[in-house]
Amino acid sequence: MNKSLNIDAQTVSVEANKTVEANNTVQAEKRLPGDLAMWFFILAELTVFAVLFIGFAVSEQLNVEMFVQGKAKLHQISGLINTLTLITSSFFVALALTQMHQGNGKQAAKLLVVAKLVACIYISVKIWEYLSLFEQGIDIETNTFFTLYFMITFFHLMHILLGMVILFFVAIKAAKNEYNASNISGFESGASYWHMVDLLWIILFPLIYVI
Amino acid sequence: MQSTNANKKNTLSWLWLLILTVISTYIGSFLELFNTQKSLFIIIVLFIVFLKGQQIIDIFMELKKAPKLWRRLLFAYVILLPVIIGLIYLL
Repeated sequence: MNKSLNIDAQTVSVEANKTVEANNTVQAEKRLPGDLAMWFFILAELTVFAVLFIGFAVSEQLNVEMFVQGKAKLHQISGLINTLTLITSSFFVALALTQMHQGNGKQAAKLLVVAKLVACIYISVKIWEYLSLFEQGIDIETNTFFTLYFMITFFHLMHILLGMVILFFVAIKAAKNEYNASNISGFESGASYWHMVDLLWIILFPLIYVI
Repeated sequence: MQSTNANKKNTLSWLWLLILTVISTYIGSFLELFNTQKSLFIIIVLFIVFLKGQQIIDIFMELKKAPKLWRRLLFAYVILLPVIIGLIYLL
């Protein structure tokens, strides 16, 4: 009887240990990539853009004709190219992070350079788009549509430039092998910021160019 | 091996995002042609926004492996914002 009780107690103890180990494994896997502060910053940025997007949608309902005419003057293909370039740039940053997880700092840095080069296409197209509108005599003061168009897209462009600066410093640190498996938070924070810029554009593009 | 799997996931996600972007733009070109079905096209375009957001959040941002709260917060963004925009356009 006592023997049986002992065996049961041991079984329960082993099972309990297994559960604790399983919980620890789950907790280890459920890790927020990057610094917590960066994620609060990302949430703040997303909120600011949400207000701008909703403001744009409401203004469109108040000035339907003006917004239809304004959208007709935009170059939809350039918006499409910019979307494709930002998605591709984000893809290279994701590949760089995978390399960094494997401890290949130099390879990760090279992929970040490719990501930034692709982002340069976005910047070039955006500048071309602005210049072609200026040539037509359209600027931020033309009407409400173009005020919001320039304000939102330029604000987003500023985020792209800031993202490129962040990725520049991250790439330098990665090339010097200053990140390792236990110290990769800075790299992840930079990558997450870049993906946020991409996330914003995938809402901005249909809102301003498509619908 | 882990790296290969991650690269494969990233590549598939990238291709899916490119396809969705082209589809979204193509649908947008129909908005003027089929004015009567404008609402349907707007709903499809906004649904594509959610699908693209889901890929970026789960695969590129790696939030699938993050604590649920953060994943849900980001998901709320790509669900609620298109819904609010959709309501503004459709009501």
